[in-house]
Amino acid sequence: MLFNTAHFFLFLAVVLALFYSSPRPLRKYILLAASYFFYGSWNYRFIPLLLTLTVIDYTAGIWLEKVPPGPRRKTVLIVSLCANLGFLGFFKFYNFLGSNLAWVVDKPASAFFLNIVLPLGISFHTFQSMSYVVDVYRGEQQAVRNPIDYALFICFFPQLVAGPIVRARNFFGDLWHWQPPSAEDVSRGILLMTLGLTKKMAFADQFAKVANDYFKNVSGNPGWLTAWSGVVAFGMQIYFDFSGYTDMAIGMAKLLGFHFPVNFRRPYLAASITDFWRRWHISLSTWLRDYLYISLGGNRRGRWMTYRNLMLTMLLGGLWHGASWNFVIWGGYHGALLSLERVFRGNRPVRDDWNWFYPLKALLTFALVMIGWVFFRAADLPQSLQVLRQMFRGHGHLLLANWHLELMLIALVLAVVEEKYDGFERVLKAPMLAYASALALMFFCIEVFGVIDASIPFVYFQF
Amino acid sequence: MSPLANAGRLRRPMAIAPSPALETTPVRKPRRIALTLVAAILLMFGLDALLFRTHLYTSILEPDSSAGLLELILWREKAAQRTAGDNLVVTLGNSRMGYVPKVVDLRPRQTGYVVRTAGVAGSDPRAWYYMLRDLDPTARRYRAIVFGIDDYDDEDQAFHPDDDIRALHYCVARLRWSDVIDFSRSFQSRAVQWEAFRGSVLKGIALQNDIQAFLSHPLKRIAYMRLCHKDWPGWTYNFEETTRNMVGLQIDWSNLKATYPPGMTDEQKNSTRGWLLHETVPQTGRLAHFLRTWLGRVADRYRDSRTKIIFIRLPRGPIPRPDYLVKKRSSSIRELASRPNVILADEHLFDCLEHPEFFKDAVHLNRDGVEKFSGMLADEVARILGPPGGRAAR
Repeated sequence: MLFNTAHFFLFLAVVLALFYSSPRPLRKYILLAASYFFYGSWNYRFIPLLLTLTVIDYTAGIWLEKVPPGPRRKTVLIVSLCANLGFLGFFKFYNFLGSNLAWVVDKPASAFFLNIVLPLGISFHTFQSMSYVVDVYRGEQQAVRNPIDYALFICFFPQLVAGPIVRARNFFGDLWHWQPPSAEDVSRGILLMTLGLTKKMAFADQFAKVANDYFKNVSGNPGWLTAWSGVVAFGMQIYFDFSGYTDMAIGMAKLLGFHFPVNFRRPYLAASITDFWRRWHISLSTWLRDYLYISLGGNRRGRWMTYRNLMLTMLLGGLWHGASWNFVIWGGYHGALLSLERVFRGNRPVRDDWNWFYPLKALLTFALVMIGWVFFRAADLPQSLQVLRQMFRGHGHLLLANWHLELMLIALVLAVVEEKYDGFERVLKAPMLAYASALALMFFCIEVFGVIDASIPFVYFQF
Repeated sequence: MSPLANAGRLRRPMAIAPSPALETTPVRKPRRIALTLVAAILLMFGLDALLFRTHLYTSILEPDSSAGLLELILWREKAAQRTAGDNLVVTLGNSRMGYVPKVVDLRPRQTGYVVRTAGVAGSDPRAWYYMLRDLDPTARRYRAIVFGIDDYDDEDQAFHPDDDIRALHYCVARLRWSDVIDFSRSFQSRAVQWEAFRGSVLKGIALQNDIQAFLSHPLKRIAYMRLCHKDWPGWTYNFEETTRNMVGLQIDWSNLKATYPPGMTDEQKNSTRGWLLHETVPQTGRLAHFLRTWLGRVADRYRDSRTKIIFIRLPRGPIPRPDYLVKKRSSSIRELASRPNVILADEHLFDCLEHPEFFKDAVHLNRDGVEKFSGMLADEVARILGPPGGRAAR
């Protein structure tokens, strides 16, 4: 059930109707049932896995609160983390490790291969669950006593399969002190859902067609212009796809009275890689910061340790996305860029004032991010290297039509307006007719640009 | 990575941060929200209607597209109506109906009728109905409307025109709100019905490719449209068909195998395979139903009109398929002929053109074929209608 299908909207309408027509005590049961139904509609066989992880971390949370500080408490934490990482590792990394092991012991690549189907959204709900256990261990979060509440935290359908990764304190704050959404929440939710749908159908899927055509036949599309346009098309696809999904998830949650964190803030306007990671997949980058980078020592142990921590965090962040050397290199590439920026900037805080140099810096950052996307999108390492070679030699031709470029220009103008003038908030607070016009324009955009028949899955569903 | 880079300075958050929901006073105005949504949907439909249900966008449709070609032909023929006098005859059909307007135009001196063509390549009776509705809104403008038909008997083939979504792309600019249900239900499969429904409700969906191409080169499109509006009637009037022919083609009907002479193009071979050598399929009556529906609607529209509906059987091919290959169970065209105002031309009128030297491929006439066909058609129409002012022959 993709978010951009009629089936999903029917499902959402039924859930909203049942949710608001039921007595309050029943509502979380309705959400839980709907969430399991949503997850089961992809592959019901993974529901036991989800339940197992839920039981393990729910139990771990209660134990962690009961056991006094000391080695036993740490053991409980480690057991919980091992269970989470064990499941994640098995489903996501077994074949990757197996193929590398086969290479080391000089056996065929398929020697240790298992036909494993990746459970949907495992990376997201595992990280979310782990963050809860670590928060309880650190004393930052009370253990949740009600198993229904905890199960809902793990499988809440708007963010179950591709985030944003929600912190327990925010989710349970909303759940335990649930208030009906205000008129502003509903307006915001509807606007976000429409915006997300527009981003996905009218932008992401159109760029996906170009990117997919290019990456399907890289050797048949030589030349730097061809390669750059194919890679930029993917850059556009992944941004509009993922941020579109997130907007819809946040909007849906708003309609149900929950408040998810912002996950994207116009990342392609970033003027440095540091700034980019402040704006891209914020819920993951803050997770990595809070649970990995700080645990490794952050920037408190000197320059070299800071670089090492940055590299390690980004390498693991890359590996979180998928089990392949491409993701490791993608993470390492960003880690290296962040470290390099740190070398030049020292301990001075990041300052990205809007001035005459800003567009130049933003353009350079954009180009560097695009180079990184090559590793993210290419089928394997040889193809990544082939694309990179093509990006800097020959001529080629532009794969994007003029109207693609016009879409990019419109998106850029809207992003700048949002960045400088808070356009989204202005629309929310505008008179009814202006708000309705904004919605109508987005609907119209879906009508004339939306990819309607081809079902192009969300990129991050594979993680 | 700023969240990471500045992490050392961050303080640990509180155990449970207050939920934003707790801080806001709920102000629920579901009626207002519902009204806003309705307004947004109405505005979107309004924008769609403003662009696609007026001449605003349809006047700049790509002339080489299905919808654009139909619109251009409609525009040309409506313009011709203003100067063509009272004895005007129009022909409708697909690309097989092509003939030389210049030759037909020589005939008015002999026949007293001006014969014009509004045939659209690739179109079918469903598109002809919607086109004719706007070409002749009063149902009285023409003395006769001539339909070029492949066969007076109905033969179902593997391709079913009743489920051909291309009809939407031809008619999209002609469809009205009142057509939506009827038009979409006229298709057979659910998927195509849905596609037709959404395309006729929100025309922007059906015109996506055209809009995107327009946005890529808007000035070029506008310039091309202007050029078409200036010169296109002349181009089509002076168009000369190719002299290529199918001489040397031999067909073994018992094995459905063709022998092609040297130099025959792939296009000619493909058309032979598709048009002449296709396998027969069970005769279910689908085509008959389709023809009865759409041509029947045309006949109904002209029931009490002075306009005659004339059907002609087009030359069937360079070597026509023998009748014994399939047992045809019905003849919707002959059924239609029982209605007032509907006339069938002699079925064998164009048999003399069913020779390889008159065809450029297995489907279409070449220059010689078109010239002969054109003159014969004008004469036959004049014969059926009789002299202007006189009584029509049946």
